[in-house]
Amino acid sequence: MSRLPFLFIVSGMIGFFLFHMFAIVHLYTWISQGLREPTGWFHIHLFVLGWGTMLAFGAIYQLMNVILQSKIYKESLGYVHYALFTIGLFGLLYGFISGHVGALATFGTITIIGILVFGWNMAHTILRSKQWNVIIFCATSSIVFLVLAAITGLTMGLNFAIVFGNSLHSSLFGTHIWLGTVGWFGLLITGFSYKMLPMFYLAHHYPTKLQLFTTILWTVSVIIGVVHFLILQQQWSFMLAVVTLLLAIVIYNIHLLQIRKYKHKKNPGPGIRWTMIGNFTFAILAILVVTHTLIFNADLLNFITLRLVTWLYLIMWVSFMILGYASKIVPFLWWTYKYGNRVGQKNTPVMSDMLSERWAFLGLAAIMVTSLVVMVGISVNSPSIIAYAGLAYSLCCIAYISLIAYVFTK
Amino acid sequence: MYSPRIEDALRHVYDPELEVNIVDLGLIYDIEEDEHNIHIRMTLTTPGCPLHDSIIGGVYRILQKEFPDKEINVDLVWEPRWTPERMSDEAKERLGFF
Repeated sequence: MSRLPFLFIVSGMIGFFLFHMFAIVHLYTWISQGLREPTGWFHIHLFVLGWGTMLAFGAIYQLMNVILQSKIYKESLGYVHYALFTIGLFGLLYGFISGHVGALATFGTITIIGILVFGWNMAHTILRSKQWNVIIFCATSSIVFLVLAAITGLTMGLNFAIVFGNSLHSSLFGTHIWLGTVGWFGLLITGFSYKMLPMFYLAHHYPTKLQLFTTILWTVSVIIGVVHFLILQQQWSFMLAVVTLLLAIVIYNIHLLQIRKYKHKKNPGPGIRWTMIGNFTFAILAILVVTHTLIFNADLLNFITLRLVTWLYLIMWVSFMILGYASKIVPFLWWTYKYGNRVGQKNTPVMSDMLSERWAFLGLAAIMVTSLVVMVGISVNSPSIIAYAGLAYSLCCIAYISLIAYVFTK
Repeated sequence: MYSPRIEDALRHVYDPELEVNIVDLGLIYDIEEDEHNIHIRMTLTTPGCPLHDSIIGGVYRILQKEFPDKEINVDLVWEPRWTPERMSDEAKERLGFF
């Protein structure tokens, strides 16, 4: 069994732990101060790259075999990817916190080379499998958008150094974030959900047409967003990208209900149940935010709304989905590694012996509730609510990730 | 015709996620036995199941242990696709299907 998914997943869990330790130390003041400050950049990049992307890489190395039913093109390139990405990320974070431009340029480039190595390896893996379906399309386009996000990040760095102009920086900044969040995370999570949820609900014979509609709308929304940031830069073009994305989110949730309707297993586990709740919560809150913006003709990119949307998308959806799926991915990895060759023997543990369902359920419930309170704090612009609820949120996250890490002792 | 001991042995191979043995899950499509060989044609609940190697390895090991003088062949197929209707009533009850 490959150790590559382990490397990324364990590193991602450490990144998640570190993010929350730093967040507690700074009492979430970086949210109140604004995200476009060096401490804000540090926290955001630690969260997005050190946690979300790191764990997503591990999940891809584990699940690509399942989706494509073939092995990764070159596993050795996976280790090169890990080394470059991890070293680059450490240096990049140091660059952000210290304001060292040279470190940002050097290690940012190393991180991007790591992502390009990953993109190259995955492109060969996917092309070699000669298969094509909605799930493979989602995975492929998410990786393409990640590579493009990395390239726009590099271009932003070059723009800083050579100074083409402030307007180009704003365009690249928006494109970089849009590609990384909506493109990379969005399509990866939706695509993997189409595989994970039927597997754990044991759902069969469910209709799949909505998977296609969701994926088309999601991809179109990414493209409209990029065109908006790079060329149009009009309020209507941004709203068009957002409304298209919202439509994709709604259809995606309808499809998840279809999958659940055709289930043959009553209890898919607490992680899967909470990902369903997390998806619905995200859809409802996204509808409320966008409707409010449309009715009051507000600017989605103003200070409070931008923080609100960032929290809703990255914390309450992307991270929450990863946490939910980690409750399945980590026990699966560990069980296969430790007990995979003991199938058929007496007293071989089963998957439910790896993780306490009760504690996992409570942990995810606490994370959901506390993250909702932080969102309220952001909505009413209250630094004290953000600080206290943020503290509670971080403590719940540390407790939950420790529970997941405890699997490795089983 | 095959020895009922084969099916009994296969009942010790569990899907660790579903916690149901592979016979009750309806994963075994066909069993053939002759003087020197045992041939199993089976599937998994989902194509590319991540437990593929563990379950197939478990089938090999348990049959080799029970029938050390015979050659064991396991043929994993995806057609016809497994459907939940293939599960025994015990398996359906275990999964809360009813």
